[in-house]
Amino acid sequence: MPRRGSLVAYGVTRLVMAFPMLLILLTVVFVVLRIIPGDPIYALYGGRAKPSVVMAQRHKLGLDQPLYLQFANYIAQVFTGNFGTSLGPIFGGQNVMDVIMQRLPATVELAVGSMLVATIIGISVGILSGINRDRIVDVVGRLYGTIIFVIPIFWLGLMLQFVFAVDLKWFPVNSRFDVSIPPPATITGLYTIDSLLKGRLDAFAVAVRHLFLPCLTLGLVLSGFFTKTVRANLLRTAGADYVEAARARGIRRRAIVMRYAFKNALIPVITVLGLEFAILFAGAVLTETTFNWNGMGLLLVNSIEVQDYPLIQGTIIVYSFIIVIISLMVDFLNGLIDPRVRY
Amino acid sequence: MTESDDSFADVKAQQPVLPRPFLGRLLHPLMENRRTLAGVLSWIGLGIVVAFIVIAVLAPILAPYPVEGPSAIVAPKLQPPSLTHLMGTDESGQDVFSRVLWGAQTSLEVMAIGVVLALAIGFPVGLYSGYSGGAVDRIILLIMDSIYAFPGLLLALLVAVMLGKGVFNIGIAITVIYIPLYYRVTRNQTLSIREETYVEAARGLGARPWTIMWSYIAYNVLVTIPVIFALSAADAILTAAGLSFLGLGIQWPTPDWGLDLSIANTFGDIGNGVWWTSFFPGLMIILLTVGLSFLGEGLNDLVNPLLKKERA
Repeated sequence: MPRRGSLVAYGVTRLVMAFPMLLILLTVVFVVLRIIPGDPIYALYGGRAKPSVVMAQRHKLGLDQPLYLQFANYIAQVFTGNFGTSLGPIFGGQNVMDVIMQRLPATVELAVGSMLVATIIGISVGILSGINRDRIVDVVGRLYGTIIFVIPIFWLGLMLQFVFAVDLKWFPVNSRFDVSIPPPATITGLYTIDSLLKGRLDAFAVAVRHLFLPCLTLGLVLSGFFTKTVRANLLRTAGADYVEAARARGIRRRAIVMRYAFKNALIPVITVLGLEFAILFAGAVLTETTFNWNGMGLLLVNSIEVQDYPLIQGTIIVYSFIIVIISLMVDFLNGLIDPRVRY
Repeated sequence: MTESDDSFADVKAQQPVLPRPFLGRLLHPLMENRRTLAGVLSWIGLGIVVAFIVIAVLAPILAPYPVEGPSAIVAPKLQPPSLTHLMGTDESGQDVFSRVLWGAQTSLEVMAIGVVLALAIGFPVGLYSGYSGGAVDRIILLIMDSIYAFPGLLLALLVAVMLGKGVFNIGIAITVIYIPLYYRVTRNQTLSIREETYVEAARGLGARPWTIMWSYIAYNVLVTIPVIFALSAADAILTAAGLSFLGLGIQWPTPDWGLDLSIANTFGDIGNGVWWTSFFPGLMIILLTVGLSFLGEGLNDLVNPLLKKERA
């Protein structure tokens, strides 16, 4: 048995605790999709289909079985990665998991890019705000943090499109790639990485140009959260004894901020990172819809439009897995950086 | 409070704090701190929120054109803003300004249903969970935390798919997101109040748990709620607008900001250089949510004793 407080023991505990969380999330999804008034087939057809068609569909999806059996089947499906086949007109007959995996890279690319924008802008504004406490820079920084956070992502996206794509024509309006040239061969599915691996710099430039506006949109909105957290924690650490001590030793202000206050102010930022990722994925759905970005979020929205029940369920389950895995990683990172949380 | 008043802080601290009625507890810090940044922001926020409530109530009088029925199509479609149509006209030839005014009604209705329901469920559950403690508390906490970790919009979206469109259904869909939030706040507050001397005294005198929870603890938890209420209301408006934008929220022709943005996006208005059909509805969402955030964050700075201590 690893020593209490060791990183391994902490990691194992977190891993074990992640299971109930995953199970609860899966149960919530099940409850919403199967127990809320009516049933999915009725909701999807809106009472327009013939009773015989509805019965056949219900049987096909196993919805005519008792609930406990449905639940057992559902959990079995989830953990074997078999979410059934799509019923919609676009992906009809295809394996749900395959369809989702084709779309996942686009969402990952968007998410990583946005997180990059959010961290750079959010942390810079947060530091500026924190070290200029109660001065005009701070007031502006705080207003920025509050206002940017409540701007609807889709509105910001549309406005950035209007200014930078339609009016100035600096960037393409939407979609992941130009129609005129072929996208890079699929290795990871991430256009930027793939084009670099194939040594196609032209394709890389195109991919980045397409990524820019969606990532800026989502990143700006997310940065508000970072700004507030960094500022609050910088103020907290700025008053700490070790900062006083450093000041007393005559260390320069800039060095104190960067080496002492900022480093410790980052720890709580990592803690809220998990929450930030939840907002990121919800925001990605809106961003993908605004920019016609062919990721998981747009897939979800499209499958809702064409009432493709297995695909809706599959996408939501993959989202649940991603959320649980990320919150695990954030916890682990936290334990790595701050030994105190391991107990 | 101005700088010069601070010298009396010690004297003030020694004075007994009299219990205030609910509104007083809120208005007092607002009045006393109206010169500080947090106070100013709170007042601006309150002003914006009140203005929107007035707009929502008076929409039938204020709107220059009707928004539903055949008479709502009042002009050629996609006219740029002008004196007759302050915010231009949309895809179907409706007056954007009128739709934007009426949209305040829809937004506030959905938000009110969502947030009030969430409070009505989250508060009692949190109170019970925090007061009873033990295994029950831990299980409820785990469930609520798991739901809270899930992206709110996705959860609401799932419920909205099952319930269908409409103001009331969307209100219920967004309730799901905020129940864990109210639960968390209530539970944590209950945990600390449970240990107060007067609660112990009540317990010592043989008061039943139900009485202690509702007569002694509930009120003192409730006074911390307005901050969370304002902040979650801002978030609720964003989420509801998001659902409408994704085509799951409000049914056309009901005027709704998110829906109008969705229609503008579907028709590719921006690509055609038509900015007014999306700019103005979005601006209204931002104004209202900024108002609620200012109010919530301002109140938080003024009322939250922890922050005050750090400030001193």
